[in-house]
Amino acid sequence: MSSLSLPILTDRLELRTFERCDVDSLCEYHSLPSVQRYVSTPTYDRAEVAGALNLLRSQVNLQRPGDTLSLAMVRRGDHKLIGHVSLLWSDATAGQGEIRFFINPSYSGEGYTAEAIAAVFDLAFGHFRIHRVFARSDGRNHHSIKLMQQLGLRLEAHYREHALFQGEWDEELHFAILDREWQRSSKVKDLPMRARVA
Amino acid sequence: MALYPEYPLISDRLRLRPFTRGDVDAVYTYRSRDDVARYLFDVALSREECALAVQQRIGQVALEKDGDKIILAVELLSTGSLIGEVSLTWHSADARQGEIGWIFNPDYQGEGYATEAARALLDLAFGPGDIHRVSARCDVRNGSSWRLMERLGMRREAHFREHAIFKGEWDQEFVYAILRREWLSR
Repeated sequence: MSSLSLPILTDRLELRTFERCDVDSLCEYHSLPSVQRYVSTPTYDRAEVAGALNLLRSQVNLQRPGDTLSLAMVRRGDHKLIGHVSLLWSDATAGQGEIRFFINPSYSGEGYTAEAIAAVFDLAFGHFRIHRVFARSDGRNHHSIKLMQQLGLRLEAHYREHALFQGEWDEELHFAILDREWQRSSKVKDLPMRARVA
Repeated sequence: MALYPEYPLISDRLRLRPFTRGDVDAVYTYRSRDDVARYLFDVALSREECALAVQQRIGQVALEKDGDKIILAVELLSTGSLIGEVSLTWHSADARQGEIGWIFNPDYQGEGYATEAARALLDLAFGPGDIHRVSARCDVRNGSSWRLMERLGMRREAHFREHAIFKGEWDQEFVYAILRREWLSR
């Protein structure tokens, strides 16, 4: 495997590892409930977000199973950090990875997350030779469900009341995509169904 | 809430009871078969391994903490023959989650015994066990197992593809589940 080359540039984003100065931008979204659900360190205030940032700053490559690579999504135009994507290498023998994505809601709805995830899939399947990447989503998070479908992930699991989360019965979806199902061309956005000629 | 069931559990044609040391031969007749082991994590067992398995099962009769299992021998009321086993695993006491499983001797297939035994176990789980959701999993190719789950009224919640390597091949797995209110309203 050749060495990992960062940052990654996409049309509108620079995906780079975290830096010490990212704490303000991270504070804008890290403690939100929708983000808290899947972060590895729960945070309530700035001091805790700074702690979470230290961990994110250490997640710079996948060397062995269990490792995480976390990349900040930075807009190329104004260098604003608007979210991040993490790739977890969960199993080496079976080549399994998990992707987690987080966006500051002020910047959602612009396709930034899809752009970042597509680039991370290229990295996962191309560079790291992962066989299958899966993602989890709150069953009520319609943005994230739409995003998964748009990127071509298959719904593999729909768990109902399988756990308690913050005192309530939880509903969780698992999406997955195999290396052979991911093609660069899928990065080209299809026209929405209604815009297609019948 | 811990669960210490009263044994045996009796259904129309079956008795579900804890394992005893005398069960090794009966267990060996099916656990030594390749067709039984095909979709289990274990390979076909030797007689010594069966003795060890039975030894472990003798103590698996109550749910006290997360991860505990109840494993019961299933025998025919008519003849007393041991035809297989069912298990109930307590995954989470907090969220009241359980998982059921079964292994049956194929010589007794096609009579609905596995369905009857699984129903008795679900009655235990959702009744005295006060469990909220019971899941079950199997290899996608194990049609008799997932069809049994469907007969029990379980819903297919997951179809994992190539998420692991099982006995040297890419694995595909189904997860089924049923909620307490779904079971009680049947």
